[in-house]
Amino acid sequence: MLSNFGALRPRAAAMMLATVSLLLAAVPGHAQLRLDITQGVRDAVPIAVVPFGGQAEGGASDVAAVVANDLRMSGRFAPLERRDMVARPTSGAEIRYEDWRLLKSDFIVVGRVEPDAVSFELHNVRTGASLLTQRLPSSEKGRRAAAHRIADLVFERLTGIAGAFSTRIAYVAVDGKPPAQRYRLLVADADGFGPRTVLESREPIMSPAWSPDGASLAYVSFEGKVSAVYVQTLASGERRRVSARAGINGAPAWSPDGRRLAVTLSRDGNLDIYTLELATQTLTRVTSDDAIDTEAEWSKDGQSLYFTSDRAGNAQVYRVALDQARKAERVTFTNGYNARPRISPDGKELALVTLDRGGYRIAVMDIASRNLRVITNARQDESPSFAPNGALLIYATRDGGRGSLAIASADGAFQQRLSADQGDVRDPAWQPFGPRG
Amino acid sequence: MQGFWQEHLRPLAGSASLHLALVGVLALAALRWTSSQPPVQLAIQGYVVDGPVATKPVPQPRSAPAVKPPPVTETVKPPEPLVEPPQERRAENDAAAERAAQAEQERRQVEERAAQERNAQLARDKAAAEQRRAEEAERKRAADNEAKRKAAEDAERKKADAAEARRKAEEQAQADREAKARAAREADLQRSLAAEEEASAVARSGVMDEYRALLVQTVERNWIRPPSARAGLQCTLYVTQAPGGTVVDVKLGACNGDQAVRESIATAVYKSSPLPAPRDPRAFERRLEIVFKPTE
Repeated sequence: MLSNFGALRPRAAAMMLATVSLLLAAVPGHAQLRLDITQGVRDAVPIAVVPFGGQAEGGASDVAAVVANDLRMSGRFAPLERRDMVARPTSGAEIRYEDWRLLKSDFIVVGRVEPDAVSFELHNVRTGASLLTQRLPSSEKGRRAAAHRIADLVFERLTGIAGAFSTRIAYVAVDGKPPAQRYRLLVADADGFGPRTVLESREPIMSPAWSPDGASLAYVSFEGKVSAVYVQTLASGERRRVSARAGINGAPAWSPDGRRLAVTLSRDGNLDIYTLELATQTLTRVTSDDAIDTEAEWSKDGQSLYFTSDRAGNAQVYRVALDQARKAERVTFTNGYNARPRISPDGKELALVTLDRGGYRIAVMDIASRNLRVITNARQDESPSFAPNGALLIYATRDGGRGSLAIASADGAFQQRLSADQGDVRDPAWQPFGPRG
Repeated sequence: MQGFWQEHLRPLAGSASLHLALVGVLALAALRWTSSQPPVQLAIQGYVVDGPVATKPVPQPRSAPAVKPPPVTETVKPPEPLVEPPQERRAENDAAAERAAQAEQERRQVEERAAQERNAQLARDKAAAEQRRAEEAERKRAADNEAKRKAAEDAERKKADAAEARRKAEEQAQADREAKARAAREADLQRSLAAEEEASAVARSGVMDEYRALLVQTVERNWIRPPSARAGLQCTLYVTQAPGGTVVDVKLGACNGDQAVRESIATAVYKSSPLPAPRDPRAFERRLEIVFKPTE
């Protein structure tokens, strides 16, 4: 279809366009009532994800359950409860739209699990339109991956945003009580399922950061009682210590091209921002203020850094161009505390922790307008990280000294705790799409 | 004698029947000739189609007026009574006889002349009758021809009249149709003027605004805005609703939104079905142009 369209001569295409616009122009008549719709609701979209045929319901690889949970987790969808479903269609031909309209679903996902694939269809219950029909190759072990992929496709078709359910999250979990604590660096599916230990240590592990290609993690580990920055490739497990200078080595952040890290070092007596060329170990000092400068984040174009500094007396976010290192400018002015900036995938927004009405909360700031919107409402939220589609953020929320992971939509409409219970959890980071995207 | 009958019965019978037949034919011919009547004039029914051109058939004489022959008066005077002279005896008697003979002769001559005259008169009368009959026949023939001609003329005229009448009727029908169409147009105009008047009355009364607000509210409540529906978006849907408010058709017009936006707006409209009814049924509008253009 696409190739056919591509094969059309430009003139033919132009004529088609002209015809279409003529038709469109011809549609309006005089006897019409015109309505201007300027508002909508932010409600979650009601959708029925019917248990897939070809597999038993329940269990970890229940495809429909995984799809429904992903969609629910996004905050943008309200999947219909299974107990309310009156039928179990497994193909579009079996769907009786009126049944699902009565159940107040707008959309429906049906499908089947086959030995070597999972096929699914997405239909609009209100209009009766078939929106997606796909067959995804899948082994018995890959059912969950197929399910996340289905959730991605449904999410994209209905929100206009690429789904990020097939990506993963990295975070740190702490078990036990001092002094017998155990730190683990974990990587799990975006829904928190299937955590895998990347590193385990008796000493603190902090600040995991994904490489732009999503293949490696940089992190801070205090193994050997002193801090050092490591880079570890996930597939091979191979890791490298890239910064172990005197004092503090912390808060690594990858440059957009993946060749450099921004780090916070105290080697010159004060906490300042440096860049480190990974291939050559070339270190370049960026800030040299007397105050604490830390938590660097790269701009989308790689030409400047955002960072947290208390140079004005309390923590605020600043930006510094790499070629004008001494001219940092403050970018946050709302609220008395703004820290830990993280850039959005489109480079237009910063997520940060802000002190809002007595609580540390996650906010998203539009860089151009400096408008700040607070998107969470707990008392101690920290470490925001954008999902690669920019629609969601993952963050840690502390409650009674215990941290857990939560997800919020970037517009602030929804927040949801991740159910995974792995003790005290902190420092989440959402994997980028990487080269596949 | 017996043999003669037997021998000649056939020829005799044949001769007799031939004579009888001839007599019959002659009688019939005579009868026919005398009973030859003028043809009955056909009364042709005519329709009075229109005032000014209506022509009543001119009444035709059923037959030619009878021309009475002048009365034939036979004036045959009886001979003068002869007065015998007084006899003078024998001589006288002889002379008287002679005179008598002479008188007789004269009387006979007179009678003969009278007979001749009578015969001539008869012949004259007969000829006159013949003449009259011939004239009569001629008149009848002429009358017949005249009647036929008139009938033909009448028929022709009737035909022409009928054609004319048809033409007139058609013209009239055409005129009627045009008048009717004109009247209908005027009525339409009146109606639409009235409708406009009513619509503006409805609009003035605020019912229209209220209806519009009701519809907007319903659709907005059902529109789950996808994140891609931001300020600057403008998408038009042409929606047709049935009188009960059921959405029967949704067509996408100009739209700068993505697939998700298009899906969401069509879903919103179908989800709003049945659409709310106006407080005043006159405000109902089957066709709606719904423009989605979020302000932020």
